[in-house]
Amino acid sequence: MARVPIVRVGPVLISTLLSGLLDQEVLQLQEELMDSIEQSGARGVLLDISTVETVDTFLGRLLADIAAGARLMGAHTVVVGLQPAVAVTLVEMGLEFKAVHVALNAEKGWALLRRLLAP
Amino acid sequence: MAEQAMPAQRAVTIEEQRRTIDELETPVLQVWDSVLALPIVGSLDTARAQRMTEALLEAISSTGSDVVILDITGVPVVDTATAKHLLETVSAAKLMGAEVMLVGIVTRTALTLVHLDIDLSSVITRTTMAKGMELAFARLGLEVVRRAGSGPAHPASDGGGPL
Amino acid sequence: MTTADQIVPIDGEEGIVSARQLARDVARTLGFGTVDQSRIATAVSELARNVVHYATEGRGEVRIRQFTVDGGGAGIEVVVADAGPGIADVDEVLQRGFTSGAGLGMGLPATRRLMDEMEIDTALGRGTTITVRKWRR
Repeated sequence: MARVPIVRVGPVLISTLLSGLLDQEVLQLQEELMDSIEQSGARGVLLDISTVETVDTFLGRLLADIAAGARLMGAHTVVVGLQPAVAVTLVEMGLEFKAVHVALNAEKGWALLRRLLAP
Repeated sequence: MAEQAMPAQRAVTIEEQRRTIDELETPVLQVWDSVLALPIVGSLDTARAQRMTEALLEAISSTGSDVVILDITGVPVVDTATAKHLLETVSAAKLMGAEVMLVGIVTRTALTLVHLDIDLSSVITRTTMAKGMELAFARLGLEVVRRAGSGPAHPASDGGGPL
Repeated sequence: MTTADQIVPIDGEEGIVSARQLARDVARTLGFGTVDQSRIATAVSELARNVVHYATEGRGEVRIRQFTVDGGGAGIEVVVADAGPGIADVDEVLQRGFTSGAGLGMGLPATRRLMDEMEIDTALGRGTTITVRKWRR
């Protein structure tokens, strides 16, 4: 079981990432999220990274991979809570979050998911 | 012991001074509920662009704004380096969930950007702040309507419709 | 003026988190702003991860050095060394961006963009030492 719990609220899976996650814990989260989407038929994923201090290329790419995998299974992913310093660093590294939706916080992330999931 | 204390004190003073410079040169204005405007005046070197971006992101975070309007009317020369800085600022603001518009693109700027083959296709651009505001309102589902019989006489308007 | 080096041994994934956390703490102590702290921590994270993934038995060492400069400036130097296979073509690795397909990019172009100075000392069979520095005015 990953250190990061996955909570289901209606059609949305929510996961709050912690700072200092080991690579294997992040990979485990990815796997469990994919399984959860498959089993629950979830249509949305909300990943809260507001307490994550460092997003390097590994985590950045993993978030993009989660979004891509979720999309293939019919779910939209919204990443919320990027810290300003993290946003600047990601841009300077040249890491693009093309297929990943982002929102400032969980509240706005929810609103975005509602719009994306609207029929 | 005094020598060891000095660098720490200096570090604090430098930080304070930096913050003051930030506030003076890159005013981030909340022009509407959820809308931030950043009028950029003068040239943009790397250091200034970084300070500007940081100030903007902090403002997005603290105000929870959804729309950001970067106004480059006051930027005299938009060259490749300036465009790169602007694009980075735009990307960073977008990562904070904001919709970003670049306004103040006048003919000379537009021609320069085309000539330099700079790709601004990922950014919404408009000529003026007013047009940017119009778009911001539209995005937020807002409309500016003139109340019948009030305000200065405007031969062009007949009492309704957006800005 | 320099202070004693702080060393984080890398022997597995935990070292990535420890190294970048220490780098962030040192950067904060030196008066670097939050964004610079993020740049430094992220760069160290990239370099430490390379040790875990590419070095022999994923072992290496991260050495952090602080500099203070007359006039109030400061700097941080991070030396990441391993006794791994070495990098065959440094230029190629520095060009390599983020691969969309399989294969981990080494994150070196990203690291170089985040730091002020980067030096790579490597040879096949002799391991790799990467030194990065950032200065605060």
